[in-house]
Amino acid sequence: MYFFLTLNKNGDVGYFPAGEKDRLPPGICCLKRPLPLGLIQNAQDWTNKRKKGRFWGSGLKERQCDRVKSELCRLLNGQEWNVPKLSSQEDFVTSDCQLASSIDGRELMFQAFDELVLGRQLSWGELKILARELRCEAEIILAFAHLNVERNMAEWVPAVVPQGKGWQCQRCGERNIKEWPSYYGRAGTCLSCKTLGPSTSLEAFYRDHRPLLKGQENVNFYPHWPLTEAQNLASGQVLAFLNNSAQPKALLWAACGSGKTEVCFPSAARALEEGKSVLFAAPRQDVIHDVAPRLKRDFPGVPIQVLTGSVPIRYQRGNLVLATTHQVLRFWQAFDVIFLDEMDAFPYQGSEALEWGLTHALRPKGKLIYLTATPSLEALKEVRRGNMLLIRLPARHHRYPLPIPVVEKYRNPFDPKSNLLSLNKARFESIRQAGRILVFVPKISWIQPWVNCFRRYFPDWKIEGSYSSDKERFDKISDLRQGKFDLFVSTTILERGITLEGIQVVVLGAEHPIFDERALVQMAGRVGRTRENPSGTIVFMSCSNSTAMKTAIQWIKDQNRLALKQGLIDLRT
Amino acid sequence: MKRFFEQGLKLIQAIWYSEETGCVLCGGNGAPICESCTRDHLHPELGRCLRCGKLIAREKTLCLDCQEGRGPKHLKRVIAWGHYSGYLKELILDAKFGANPMRIAKIGPPFADWAIHWLPPADGILAVPMHPARLAERGFNQAEVIVSQLHWELGLPIFQGVTRIKPTPPQVSLSRQERLINVKDAFVLQEPERFQGRSVWLVDDVTTTGTTLDAVAEVLLEGGVSTVYGLCLAAGIEKILVPEFV
Repeated sequence: MYFFLTLNKNGDVGYFPAGEKDRLPPGICCLKRPLPLGLIQNAQDWTNKRKKGRFWGSGLKERQCDRVKSELCRLLNGQEWNVPKLSSQEDFVTSDCQLASSIDGRELMFQAFDELVLGRQLSWGELKILARELRCEAEIILAFAHLNVERNMAEWVPAVVPQGKGWQCQRCGERNIKEWPSYYGRAGTCLSCKTLGPSTSLEAFYRDHRPLLKGQENVNFYPHWPLTEAQNLASGQVLAFLNNSAQPKALLWAACGSGKTEVCFPSAARALEEGKSVLFAAPRQDVIHDVAPRLKRDFPGVPIQVLTGSVPIRYQRGNLVLATTHQVLRFWQAFDVIFLDEMDAFPYQGSEALEWGLTHALRPKGKLIYLTATPSLEALKEVRRGNMLLIRLPARHHRYPLPIPVVEKYRNPFDPKSNLLSLNKARFESIRQAGRILVFVPKISWIQPWVNCFRRYFPDWKIEGSYSSDKERFDKISDLRQGKFDLFVSTTILERGITLEGIQVVVLGAEHPIFDERALVQMAGRVGRTRENPSGTIVFMSCSNSTAMKTAIQWIKDQNRLALKQGLIDLRT
Repeated sequence: MKRFFEQGLKLIQAIWYSEETGCVLCGGNGAPICESCTRDHLHPELGRCLRCGKLIAREKTLCLDCQEGRGPKHLKRVIAWGHYSGYLKELILDAKFGANPMRIAKIGPPFADWAIHWLPPADGILAVPMHPARLAERGFNQAEVIVSQLHWELGLPIFQGVTRIKPTPPQVSLSRQERLINVKDAFVLQEPERFQGRSVWLVDDVTTTGTTLDAVAEVLLEGGVSTVYGLCLAAGIEKILVPEFV
């Protein structure tokens, strides 16, 4: 996206978006060759610095303008680029067409545009999509956007800006930018967020500075289920954190299956009533699609934006937003409260770009709450340093303790390459008596040999296996949810976000380095989630006892100890 | 301090480990192009239509269109490296529309090796020019990126001097007849004396009917160039070779 460099009568440099038709800005002197925004902003800074000393008290304004033009041409011609030489006489023109307001006769369309871009950060490609959704020309949307910029409600920013010796992407904060020689000299492309469309130093973003909501409003909040005692306790702490705490971040460390998302609903309702904007974010689409109906159920009539890669409507209204962490990169300082679910899940975990995007989607003095059953080491460090408030939710709604995994050591390794796939048949039969079995293995290549082995040992059982790139994955998981399998072998794809009635868990090769304490806790967390089956068996089958296994068991025991101390679970014999 | 150690560690790793490069198309095992990409996209088992570069059966010399006289007429020969599909198509689209020209740069060595195997060395290489407005919009000409890679790998000089004077819409959505009208009088040759008696490799990213290459070749031949060879990264495939059409 390119801009025309404009020059007013006082010799001030400005810019006007060029769009696709390269229509000159009406009634104002401008350089007829569109340029990248970054170059124009450099020229603007340069003239602003020189203006004070050079033009103070000297001669006529016309002469000043001519001098600025020739100085600008000299500055731009000094660039190492392939653009033909600019001349102050020929390349500066003033368009004859009248300056007409871009919203005359289009008030309704402008209003619709205005509501949809609140708090957004959008590329030219995304503005074109918005134009398609509003069924109008892209040039009109561009004029609307520029009108907001002129009214100081938004700004244009280069998508990638020079930073020291390198570059930085303004959408995801990435500094590892691919540099290349362009028509306009040195240019940079960010590859980190390219799935959202190209972000280069030749492109620009429209960045809207306004909050999603203008004032306080009534919010219909009717929780479907009353919160349990444990949830109430945590919910109170979340509310207190949002209202009083000086700390900007909090970590809600919850037991698997304890209903941590619902804990945040009362706080979200309060924030919305106060006119604040709220974001529920998660790294994965399925979590968003799981939370969306629950939010819609408990907040009837409240407009909710649901934004994931698979939702066809990109622009929605509402100050309650549900979005994947990738979609959050399309917002800029828009939210007063952000709840981030599953902070330790892929792709958010370890992605500096997504973390940067989430931090920059928060308004100044906004609050960020991370929800997880398995916090990362970095998050726990932040808590220890006092930079983050810790809120615990250690018990499930049925007041039963979390089942503790049992470690069973075997002499033979579980790798199908080195093992003749012999197994303790009686052990599996006894687990099956308690319920259907979910077997976790560390590698995709282990799945088929183990499925074959189980089928050989248990010919009467219905046995299946799946992994991330399995084409029949969704059908198989749907059958699994309906309880159609006696035993199901899986990689870590089923470690979180799924509730299976009466399931028992076996982890084969639990000492494998791919299973860290977080994965093991999540896998153990599949057991005993419902009131009908509040307990069950978790077996870590391994050749040795790894640190991750010890830590995972310790974490689960700690949750139970804390829950018992707070009187949130009942002791059963 | 932490940053200092991280940088130090990176430096030690850079010295200690040799950088492993995968396939330049799919990123999988096998450099520079893995076996499956060679088989699926480069099709070494197929021949190329001498006129338009389309992928055809090895025993044939011309595709059906060129046999019926609809192909380019001013080029001595046109060759295309692979079929415009899969990872090769994705690479070209990513480079052009994802503002990532350095991806094309990566395929320089294998493409140059292949080109010099199939075409006789020429006096110079020339990129199909872009209209200045399109160039200003995209920020680079992908054909020039390929040319600079060929120059780097083979040492052939780069020719400049053909300009696109007509802003033409992309050929992709047009019929053969519309393409002919679209590129008619679109190119001019400046300083033709520099091209007298020279042979040229004319380079573009993708060719479908060869119309654009033919229009530039016509201008070059009128200006005194002796021979023009067309060279592209990707082209279409004869329909009869696509299983659904058999």
